[in-house]
Amino acid sequence: MTPDQLTQAIVSGIGAGGEQFLEGTLAATLPIIWLAILGLHLGRPYILDMIDRFTLRLGADLLWLIYVALRDLLIISGVIMSFMFFFPDVVVTDPLPLTGGLAAACLFGVLLIKLAGDPDHNLRAFQLTTLLLGLGALFYFVPYVLGVQANTVAAGALGTVSTFLVTNTNQTWAVGMGYVSIALLAILGAIAAGYTLRTGGRADASETQVSATKKEGASR
Amino acid sequence: MNEQNVAQAITNALIQGGSQWLIATIVAFLPVLWTMTLMLHLGRPYVLRTLRRCGLRLGADIWWMSYLLIRDAVLLITFALSWIFFAPNIVVNDALPITGPLAVLCLLLALAVKLSRRVDDDVTAYRFATGFLVLGATLYYGALVFAVEATSQDALTGFGHAFTSNSNTGVALALMWIGLVGVVLVAGWLFVRALQSANRTMARRLSATRSQDQQTAEPTSVAQS
Repeated sequence: MTPDQLTQAIVSGIGAGGEQFLEGTLAATLPIIWLAILGLHLGRPYILDMIDRFTLRLGADLLWLIYVALRDLLIISGVIMSFMFFFPDVVVTDPLPLTGGLAAACLFGVLLIKLAGDPDHNLRAFQLTTLLLGLGALFYFVPYVLGVQANTVAAGALGTVSTFLVTNTNQTWAVGMGYVSIALLAILGAIAAGYTLRTGGRADASETQVSATKKEGASR
Repeated sequence: MNEQNVAQAITNALIQGGSQWLIATIVAFLPVLWTMTLMLHLGRPYVLRTLRRCGLRLGADIWWMSYLLIRDAVLLITFALSWIFFAPNIVVNDALPITGPLAVLCLLLALAVKLSRRVDDDVTAYRFATGFLVLGATLYYGALVFAVEATSQDALTGFGHAFTSNSNTGVALALMWIGLVGVVLVAGWLFVRALQSANRTMARRLSATRSQDQQTAEPTSVAQS
């Protein structure tokens, strides 16, 4: 082996090892993020109960804002960290939950409902958000626990199911699921962009019309 | 291979590997930043709705200020880190989305709209910024997901070859130069605009101060007093 070959081998090792370490860390952090999202969403009544006990309006406002910011930033982080489920090469190489991409699409759906609806004040929107979070958690945790974390202990029929639920041992389904998730995300993203363009960034579409009418009136 | 050769090989590997690792980390982190940029920009109606429910002005101000700071800082950081798309050596040697430089140009155009018009008050300006961001993200994600990150897919081989920078270097470099010229033009316009604006506001302030000085310097006549 020449020094150049050794250099090249170490460089490749650093590159491949680093990439796998990054993806591994993301995969290991995602269950924690999912649990925190569920905990914060389901803990809403507890927070509201605490807010009622505040004697100062400022404390109540700050608690609510911190809660909302934490909860929603975690959902955004969940979507962002789930991006590896949309990359065919990563899905084929790493052992990931088979339906992780669909879980990410559910999380994005939650964000869309928060954008267009008002889950903190509209019961139907809240129910829909909770339903999507539950569905997403199922999509993530079932293949994660039964597949990714049980493939060495599962035997027989459970072993077959376990192999099926992991992306790198079921590559055809994994890539297919990836494409379905990408399509779902693209559709939801287009709806979000369309909504924001229609409202012009205002809280409601009606406000945009009001401001446009005011502008017209002023120009006349 | 003696001890010195091995030491030299490890040193070279650490330097080259470290540099490639840094670039790879930026490349891996860019989709995160792009998504964050888009979500924070598109999430404005939701942030406004939450803001309205604040009972106190202080809470609302803190909320809005944090949102603005994070949103615009993420946009700026995404643009700054995307600079790797304008380094010809990296474009030719590394697997990057071929449309990356055009995506960066769209990002800068969105920034330019924000800098030149009041995006948070002007609906049309907001729509322009949204359009540029969505276009940039589409250019970035399309090539990233279906070309750079899909080398294992036989069905996407042609697309992958055409849209990855190190496998289609001619087009990649051409797009890079087009993007760079666009970035220089937009940045130049922003530079001139900032100078003009500073001249205008400072000249107004200076002339106001000068006239004030003249008034204090002129003695008041006895008849007037």
